[in-house]
Amino acid sequence: MKLSLRIWVLVFILAFSAMIILNLPPAFSFLVGLLIISILLVLTYSKSKKNTIVLLGLIFLAIFLIIFFSIPKGVVISSISSDSPFFTEGLRKGMIILSINQNSIKNMEDYSRVLNNLNFSTENRKIEISLTSETFIFFTNKTPDFVVSEISKTNIKTGLDLSGGSRAILKPENITLSQNQMNDLVAVTSNRLNTFGISDVDIRSISDLEGNRFLRVEVAGINPEDLKELIGQQGKFEAKVGNDTVFVSGEKDITFVCRNDATCAGVESCSPDQSGTYFCRFRFTVSLSPLAAERHAEITKNLTSDPANQEYLSKKLDLLLDDKLVDSLYIGVELKGRITTQIQISGSGSGATEEDAYNDAINSMKKLQTILITGSLPYKLEIVKLDSSSPVLGREFTKNILILGLFVFLIISILLFVKYKNIKISLSVILTMFSEAFITLGVATLISWNLDVPAIAGIIAGMGTGVNDQIVIIDESFSKESLNLKARIKRAFFIIIGAFFTIIAAMIPLFWAGAGLLKGFAFTTILGVSVGILITRPAFGEIIKILQKE
Amino acid sequence: MTRVQIPTGAFSLILWGKSNFYQSFLLIKITKLYKVFLLFMEMDEPKEQESKPEKAEPSKKNKFNYDKHYKFLFLIPIIILVFSLAYIFSFYLKTGDILIKDVSLSGGTTITLTGDFLSSDLQKLEQDLKSKHNDVSFRKLTDLSSGDIIAFIIESQSDPEELKKSIQEISGYELSQENSNIEFTGSALSGNFYRQLILALIISFVLMSIVIFILFRSFIPSFAVIFAAFADIVMPLALIDYLGIKISTAGIAAFLMLIGYSVDTDILLTTRALKKQEGTLNQRIFGAFKTGIFMNLTALAAVLPAFFIITGIPDSFRQIFFILALGLLADILNTWLTNAGIIKWYCDKKGIK
Repeated sequence: MKLSLRIWVLVFILAFSAMIILNLPPAFSFLVGLLIISILLVLTYSKSKKNTIVLLGLIFLAIFLIIFFSIPKGVVISSISSDSPFFTEGLRKGMIILSINQNSIKNMEDYSRVLNNLNFSTENRKIEISLTSETFIFFTNKTPDFVVSEISKTNIKTGLDLSGGSRAILKPENITLSQNQMNDLVAVTSNRLNTFGISDVDIRSISDLEGNRFLRVEVAGINPEDLKELIGQQGKFEAKVGNDTVFVSGEKDITFVCRNDATCAGVESCSPDQSGTYFCRFRFTVSLSPLAAERHAEITKNLTSDPANQEYLSKKLDLLLDDKLVDSLYIGVELKGRITTQIQISGSGSGATEEDAYNDAINSMKKLQTILITGSLPYKLEIVKLDSSSPVLGREFTKNILILGLFVFLIISILLFVKYKNIKISLSVILTMFSEAFITLGVATLISWNLDVPAIAGIIAGMGTGVNDQIVIIDESFSKESLNLKARIKRAFFIIIGAFFTIIAAMIPLFWAGAGLLKGFAFTTILGVSVGILITRPAFGEIIKILQKE
Repeated sequence: MTRVQIPTGAFSLILWGKSNFYQSFLLIKITKLYKVFLLFMEMDEPKEQESKPEKAEPSKKNKFNYDKHYKFLFLIPIIILVFSLAYIFSFYLKTGDILIKDVSLSGGTTITLTGDFLSSDLQKLEQDLKSKHNDVSFRKLTDLSSGDIIAFIIESQSDPEELKKSIQEISGYELSQENSNIEFTGSALSGNFYRQLILALIISFVLMSIVIFILFRSFIPSFAVIFAAFADIVMPLALIDYLGIKISTAGIAAFLMLIGYSVDTDILLTTRALKKQEGTLNQRIFGAFKTGIFMNLTALAAVLPAFFIITGIPDSFRQIFFILALGLLADILNTWLTNAGIIKWYCDKKGIK
């Protein structure tokens, strides 16, 4: 049987999509690709029908076995803070852990079981972590503070609404920013989140149909309150004596902020107040630039000592964050008029229990340190949308959507068998429909498009239109008209191309409308129909020609 | 939101169980459609090779005579359309808007609870929340196959912090990243969303119209397609207003999709009627119908399992599919009665046989 170029193109792209989507070691994924292409060779050169069926069966079995046995084992480090001692030793995000202390780790259950058995709290333990190529040995009494997750079987990226995480959309208050100003804002915001210790952030500037510009921040694994406090406030930090500003946040005034060093940063004391609420005080030191230090000398020079408390000056150093008082510090008399480069910053956290208060203080300290290092955002931002989604619910939804896709597939298949009562025609429609969805997924994976819920709805709805087009091709080409086959298929393509352009026309405005939140839906729909018109529909036309000749 | 009681033809006969209204509605609508389908099936299937175009009149007496009845058939969707438009207009007069916006379009918070919360007393949570926040509403997401509740959805115009605090106080469980989804849309953005999505809907309709005009390059056939697409949007919208369903951003996206999704059968019909040279006009229209109704069916088959079989899917997903399903049902009427009627009339005038 001679297969035309269009069918070859379809199968090559199908093979390529499989290689992109499946998360297999390169050699295996190459093998899968080759096997898919070999289907074509079998169809072209195999002489007898029996041989063809046997060979195709073998090929599918081989593909199945390869996929089954080469799925990677182990767990992957999905997030590690740059403060972590494990990070310092060389562990990085994306590394795959194969075993811990010679216990092989195949999945998340193995990982938590092995860690539980280690029983950290008592004394320093030796942990030997084997990765794919190297082994790290640590002595520690703390549970590893990085996050691991199962290795995904595919390279498909799902959106935050399915994988879990937080998303904020922010709008500069009372001002329209230029693209350059937006880019600055993106840089400062990502710096702030990175400094806070979040590495997995996606920040971009988006614009809508009315020309408004927004900042969209997407983060996996942070609670929305923290996100809100980190980016929802401008972070204009000022240290003032009376009305005179001594220093502000940012590297111009502050050259160093002590973090993660118990000698110069930490929580000092915790105590309950009358109502039983606990308060914990934190403190950390910062180094001022010479200029800021001189300003301090200049401002404190004229102060007198406090008559009530002779050890301190009459005015306090007020710490303000976005014009709200965080804390007021006494200034020792000995600092009067002196060029001081070391300043101690303090504040407090509260909670119902001592532990809550402690954690709150640590968290507040971390945020304040972040703001001091990264400086104030150039513009005041208003949070206009804040979403967070649970990975647990996301997994449930993903599972159900997959089953739903399968059902849609099945029902359409049954309808086709009932209507055409011809296995070859029905099968070719079904396989084409599958190829189309698969190639759409492949392209989305190739360009790392995050598939969110609307995007998947687009893919499933696209399966429906794809089948419609194929029905048109079949009905045109099998009509009993005297017009030749080529002309009839040409007419089918007129209808299909017309339908293609109307879908594109209908979906294009969605790319910009509503801050681009429904972009995924428009994208997969357009991608799906484009894959259809460029790759699968031409090949399907050829398949129908072959079936007609039989 | 008080439901505006205006009878919309046959639609007002439909009885509603609030919890499973999607299913019950679609079932009733399908049985109705089946009758229309039967009507069509009685239509005289023109024989192949009925040589001379002058003898296009079907001969058998008992069979449905399309030439005689197409104007009457044409009236059915037109009446429904007029009712729908009138209903939407009266809805607009009463509520100030053509649809009911959910919190993603009007501003507010949606909290989806799962995990521990599902084992807590949801009824108590519902009652106590109602006494604290007067605009709060609830939905359950149930997996039809197992009957398990997958998620409990709470919507309110309150701030996420307030709503979260109340939920925690009443249920005694802490809301975390694991057991809840929280969506908040500020009123500044929601107004903007709504305006833009409506604008997008108009732009997409105009773009679609341009494509259709370029495709057929003749006014009346193009107008027929565009008119059918318009009716495909208006009829579902009227029904959704009547049912009191709140529309989310995803829902409006579905209306856009409908514009692109529903016109393929119209293009098929118009192309077959105008461009195919063999057979009589009735034969060509009927041929297009046989192909097209199967297209409608498969498209419906792609969206229906989301209501009958796998129901534990995100709400935005369901809403997209629900609106697509309504639109596809409306499209069956609008393509095969309205559009076919106009094309038939046009061809008769132009002498295309």
